[in-house]
Amino acid sequence: MATIPMTPAELDEPKTSLWRDAWYRLVRNKLAIFGLFVIVVLAFAAAFGPYLTPYDFLSQDLNARNASPSLAHLFGTDDLGRDVFSRVIYGTRTAFVVAIVVTAIAVTIGVALGAMAGFFGGWFDRIIMWLTDVTMSVPNLLLVVVINASLKAPLAGWMEAQYLATLNPFFRETIWVDFILVFGSMALISWPPYARLVRAQVLSIRSRPYITAARALGLTTRIILLRYVVPNAVGPLIVSVSAGLGTAMVLESAFSFLGVGVNPPTPSWGNMISDGLRVWQHYPHLLAAPAAVLGLATVGFSFLGDGLNDALNPRGSK
Amino acid sequence: MNAMTMPAPERLLDVKGLSIEIDTRRGPATIVDGINLHVNKGETLGIVGESGCGKSLTMLSLMRLLPNKIKVKSGTANFAGRDLLTMSKSELRKVRGGQVGFVFQDPMTSLNPVMRIGDQICEPLIYHKNMKRSDARIRATELLRLVGIPSPAERLDAFPHELSGGMRQRVMIAIGLACDPELLIADEPTTALDVTIQAQIVDLVKELRVKLGMSVVWITHDLALIAGLVDRVAVLYAGTVVEDAPVEELFARPSHPYTRGLLASIPKLSDVAANRLSSIGGTPPEPGRRPQGCPFAPRCQLAEDICRQSVPPLEPLGGSGPHRVACFVAQRQLEAA
Ligand SMILES: Nc1ncnc2c1ncn2[C@@H]1O[C@H](COP(=O)(O)OP(=O)(O)OP(=O)(O)O)[C@@H](O)[C@H]1O
Ligand code: SF4
Ligand SMILES: [Mg+2]
Repeated sequence: MATIPMTPAELDEPKTSLWRDAWYRLVRNKLAIFGLFVIVVLAFAAAFGPYLTPYDFLSQDLNARNASPSLAHLFGTDDLGRDVFSRVIYGTRTAFVVAIVVTAIAVTIGVALGAMAGFFGGWFDRIIMWLTDVTMSVPNLLLVVVINASLKAPLAGWMEAQYLATLNPFFRETIWVDFILVFGSMALISWPPYARLVRAQVLSIRSRPYITAARALGLTTRIILLRYVVPNAVGPLIVSVSAGLGTAMVLESAFSFLGVGVNPPTPSWGNMISDGLRVWQHYPHLLAAPAAVLGLATVGFSFLGDGLNDALNPRGSK
Repeated sequence: MNAMTMPAPERLLDVKGLSIEIDTRRGPATIVDGINLHVNKGETLGIVGESGCGKSLTMLSLMRLLPNKIKVKSGTANFAGRDLLTMSKSELRKVRGGQVGFVFQDPMTSLNPVMRIGDQICEPLIYHKNMKRSDARIRATELLRLVGIPSPAERLDAFPHELSGGMRQRVMIAIGLACDPELLIADEPTTALDVTIQAQIVDLVKELRVKLGMSVVWITHDLALIAGLVDRVAVLYAGTVVEDAPVEELFARPSHPYTRGLLASIPKLSDVAANRLSSIGGTPPEPGRRPQGCPFAPRCQLAEDICRQSVPPLEPLGGSGPHRVACFVAQRQLEAA
């Protein structure tokens, strides 16, 4: 039969229609595209902005303190004469790094524990659910404050000692202490919703006929989990990750605002908002600029999340 | 008619006294009650019975795929010399998909929606036959062609939602056949399809079982559909086998009142004898509320006192032969005749 290509090479290249279909549905959704556009612009700013900004985020111009927005300083300057536009852009990088790393850690923990809890059930499920309950019932801010307050000094001291011992400049960057603590504590409070979502998905998927069919093929539990259960749970997960990235940015800002996040002078929207709030009656631009960008980012992620939800559930909704 | 003195054919599957229970709030309830079934090598067995009589659960229990809360209470299921119900998990995994292929009731939900059908066919080949993915894809293409799917190589990369119901059912059959099983269990593989496609699928399996020399168990509630496909029919009622006979014998001499009712509900077979019994009134007993004697007694027009006291055993009609029936009246009528 000449019509049937039988060489492995020809047979091996799969097309991507499930995701392509979803993509077509997504681009028809105006709000989702707006959200995607906002995120792409912000991501670009996060990646390349610091090389393109007109000023260094630390360079001070004490002759132009608290200047209003102008052509020279698009968002004006702050109380030390630093260019707010440059700082907001650098803050975008902080926000993205924190949001992506925190969400990645939280999703990894949440998916692994949630999938196993849902699939195996029994005592394992009970322990995991108990853990999520406990984590979710402790006030988030309290937990983060306690972790930061109790670990920051020892960790910084340890880094200092390492630097003195090795002279490795890595250990002199106190920003790593911030990041480890911020990432760690935020991931710690962020994983339970992912675990619950995945567990609920797995519980419903577990009883679907195609899982019984897969078991009737003699496939191992590991393969069934990896290739049948998890991929089917991934749609809602993508949606919640998209929203979760926005939430993580708000969370980071909230912690910075409270002084348990990324420390000055590293710019973060949160500590800019917190600084701006003190003087907003006189210099509203110091509050408006970071707050507006944070708002925009959150809206972008939530629009994209909604769009993904519709795009990935072709048979649900409408 | 009992000139069946040839050596007994070899039994591939032999189920004895299989009972299945479900845990309910009111305690365990029996769903399947001491079923005896067998399939010979190369034979096609039809299992018929109305919805809810336990056809699917019986087959699932053989592969130990029962849902939570539903358990096998007693019985053995001998397959090629080993008991499916007690063999080790690793042995069982080799039987599942390897020696026994399963085709499920609903082609719309029994395929993994996010996996290309090619990959779904390759999965058992890679696992059971240790094939490389590239070889498995070649075999998958052959299988799709075997089950009559046009341009099979292109279809390999399709997702289930891109195929029609009939095509999906063919894909399921291809998956069931992937590892050259000795036994193919097809659980109402055509209920979700329209009539012409149903006939096509039946013809397909008929052709394949000869070509591949395998045994088939075909579950259905449509006797007419499989009349030309199966060698023997077991009629299930409320979790028990009430009649078991070669297919021509069953159509010529249906003996259990329930079987006669089933046949009477097939229009083209409404001859004089069947007309008398028209369709069967009432509903089958719910699990946990089974009558004491014959499970069919509450709906049976011929029921007598003995029927409500003891359970009629499944015994050869007239003392010997392959036609077995579980009914006091049918057995006695034959003796009288
Ligand atoms: N998961 C389940 N939970 C509770 N009861 C069940 C479950 N599956 C089946 N049952 C019950 O077990 C009985 C037998 O079910 P089974 O699926 O074997 O019937 P069936 O003969 O295959 O019917 P159908 O022709 O509708 O497929 C039914 O009364 C049904 O209500
Ligand atoms: S045993 Fe009695 S009740 Fe049962 S089917 Fe036969 S006649 Fe009817
Ligand atoms: Mg069924």
